[in-house]
Amino acid sequence: MNCLRELRAEKNWSQADLAEKLGVSRQSVNAIETGRFDASLPLAFKLSRLFRLPIESIFFE
Amino acid sequence: MSLLSCNKNLTPLQRRSLRWIGGAMLLTVLTNFSGANVANPLVDIFPNLARLNVPQGHSSTLIVALISAFSVLPVLLAVWIVARYLKAEPDEFIRALAVRALLWGIAVTMAGDAIAGVVTVFYARPFPIGLLNADLFWVSTAIAFRLVLRSYR
Repeated sequence: MNCLRELRAEKNWSQADLAEKLGVSRQSVNAIETGRFDASLPLAFKLSRLFRLPIESIFFE
Repeated sequence: MSLLSCNKNLTPLQRRSLRWIGGAMLLTVLTNFSGANVANPLVDIFPNLARLNVPQGHSSTLIVALISAFSVLPVLLAVWIVARYLKAEPDEFIRALAVRALLWGIAVTMAGDAIAGVVTVFYARPFPIGLLNADLFWVSTAIAFRLVLRSYR
């Protein structure tokens, strides 16, 4: 579970925009947002830095 | 493969790997002619190809061993291309999808071999399907990759 979609919406970014900032494919962002793929720790840290939020605020059980 | 190479969203690494895959597929076709017999269906279509057949029972063990070793090249090249791509792919999700597609590719190749084995025994007509393994593997992997990627649109 994560609130990536909401955080992305707040910034008015498309999945492609976020993917470009993270250096991954758009499908990766889609898969993480829908919970079909768990982001690795390095990617979670990248998201944390990008949104200036602790990892546990983005990802939760 | 053209389905993949026409995709504008491919990264330079993926384009480079596709070019290598194309080379491996071409090598597979070339090594088909290194078999003791050119595939029967090919000879049916182009009868002159029968002249390329290596005469059976007249070749030295060394030549047979060399010819056999030649057909291993596309398989070794396939392993090298896959290892190189998986090592360099920075997107972990795409890497996971590629592994899934590769597993499908292996499964389809094994299934193809099994079916061809039954058919060749049934019709008592040898066909060197083993020589086409690399082509079968790449084509089925490419199709599987497109299908698994499509599910994450």
